Amino acid sequence: MNPFDYSKAVTDFWTAQGQALMRAQEQAGKALAEGMKAVASGKIPLMPTMPADLSAGATELAQASKSVMDLWSAATSVCAKLATSLPAPSAGDGVVEATFRKMADPRTWMGATGEMDEVLGRMAEGPRFADLWEAERRYAGVLQAWMNLRRRSLEHNAVTLEAWLRAGRRFTEQLAADAKAADAKAALALWVETANRELLETQRSERYLLTQAAMIRATTELRLSQQDLVEHIGKQYGFPTRTELDDVHRTVTELRRELRAMRREQRMPVAQQPPRRAAARQRGTNA
Amino acid sequence: MTQTGTNVISDAAKMGAKMLTGGQLLHDLRDSDVQIATTPKDLVWSQDKVSLFHYRPLAAQRVHVPLLICYGLVGRWTMTDLQEDRSLVRNLLNLGLDLYVVDWGNPSRADRYLTLDDYILGYLSDCVTEIAKRAGVPKVNLMGVCEGGVFTTAFAALEPDRVNTLCLTITPIDFHADTVEERLGHGFINIWTRSLTPEDVDRLIDANGNLPGEFMAAIFNQMSPMRSLLKYNLDLLEFVDDEQRLMNWLRMEKWIADRPDHPGEAAKQWMKDLYQQNKLVRNEWELDGRRVDLGNIKMPVLNVYAKDDHIIPPATSRALGPKVGSSDYTELALAGGHIGVFVGNRSQTLFAPAVASFVEKHDVAAAKSEG
Repeated sequence: MNPFDYSKAVTDFWTAQGQALMRAQEQAGKALAEGMKAVASGKIPLMPTMPADLSAGATELAQASKSVMDLWSAATSVCAKLATSLPAPSAGDGVVEATFRKMADPRTWMGATGEMDEVLGRMAEGPRFADLWEAERRYAGVLQAWMNLRRRSLEHNAVTLEAWLRAGRRFTEQLAADAKAADAKAALALWVETANRELLETQRSERYLLTQAAMIRATTELRLSQQDLVEHIGKQYGFPTRTELDDVHRTVTELRRELRAMRREQRMPVAQQPPRRAAARQRGTNA
Repeated sequence: MTQTGTNVISDAAKMGAKMLTGGQLLHDLRDSDVQIATTPKDLVWSQDKVSLFHYRPLAAQRVHVPLLICYGLVGRWTMTDLQEDRSLVRNLLNLGLDLYVVDWGNPSRADRYLTLDDYILGYLSDCVTEIAKRAGVPKVNLMGVCEGGVFTTAFAALEPDRVNTLCLTITPIDFHADTVEERLGHGFINIWTRSLTPEDVDRLIDANGNLPGEFMAAIFNQMSPMRSLLKYNLDLLEFVDDEQRLMNWLRMEKWIADRPDHPGEAAKQWMKDLYQQNKLVRNEWELDGRRVDLGNIKMPVLNVYAKDDHIIPPATSRALGPKVGSSDYTELALAGGHIGVFVGNRSQTLFAPAVASFVEKHDVAAAKSEG
């Protein structure tokens, strides 16, 4: 199998996998939306005080998934084009070639620029929903926040994926026009420079900043709703809660602050001490 | 065999040997082999999680007034002493300075209510008191780095009688001056922070307690999006068989991996009061109810910035010049970026000598005025 056949086989494989993943997510969103509509229409026994807009949230999530799936399909086309544009590697450039191929793979793109998404995801990690059936309202709140986060994350990913697609297009145009980029190493340098520039320009754009801020906001709200739910459960079983611990920490910090201030005053000459304290120390000395 | 065929075999053999050597080096190395901040020092004071260290001299002391290095809460001071041949600390000691460094420790969720007031007018103030007491001097020299530069600037403005000279390194003063040059890839933290609302910042801290170091690392990584793709393959392969370069790289990795969380309330002040509302340069910032007026900085100031600093764009640092009350204000522009100031080859011969000369010059004056 020559390198281009191999590349095509790999490309075909992940195209199928990527599209299957996106399709599954889209279908899951649709199923969720339909389920919520069924709940709202009374076909399924309604949980008490269920938020009314869960169904809308699921629909928006499905729409966001659809947008990313479309972009993903476009990305696979660009990747296939990049694979065939790559100059043949010269002797010893196997690593350059492998790196280039890895970097032209949209899965790597999302990995490279999705670090914030991953970090936020880890920050929002919480308890499993199944164990928390008793707290319906809070459970629904967590579900709603989770759907909102997935949607915001997909919207932000779409902006990033678009940037990669623009980079891919710009790169292939430059590669065709630039005779210097005739070997794999030069082509890799051109790709790094082109993609870096495109991504940096995108990061300054209002759309990128807005979608990223929305994603951070959604992560925060999910984490807070999870904490609210866990505190509710914890209280029932007499476990200390985050809020209680925060109260203790606040008190300790304030006490330490006061202690530092008192020590500082003690070190001052009596004349410079605040009036009450100086008087008390003077009394102590006289006694 | 053709010439091309010979070249292919030769290049493949070279690459194989390189990977074999590199693989063996990495296999034999342990984390404990990668040491940073090794210059000998002694713990002389501590409070809560804060530690003050005094470096042992490496040369005859030429400067009477000690210098305290104050790093910020983002990252750690160990960057100033990364390795023996790239160490600001060692360079300063070799030039005869009496040197201290403050380590803020590893803040946990229990420290979320610590404020910048606590750090600047509490811990830093107590460090200055301790150093002055030990050295028998009324004032000390301060060197602030990045966020630590903001700490020392505020301290110098609020307690000018306790600061002999102020040296700032890659320090933001005007947090909105990133718009002066608008260089692509520069000042992303400024732009990003302004894309959030004050309520976003409050909720983020409320949800996480602190500003996680991991979170800030993700923001930093966004500033050089393609580096992460090359760092652990092509870049590493370039020097993987060169033990010295590999060790340099691993030391830097160790520093990067050490990402303390930023205490929550202090992070709110950092992001809202400074990055969003830009209170420092406007003389509107308050600590413990006292307004930080940059005009009160009347001691000599040396402001060091990096010409290609993408994290703290030069204009954000240079904004200090017109604001200070000091008639002795000097700027030193170093080539390179944010970290290059400490580890760059050219910095090794420029940075420390400039700082040493600055404090030595004003040390003589201080000694005369005491006498």
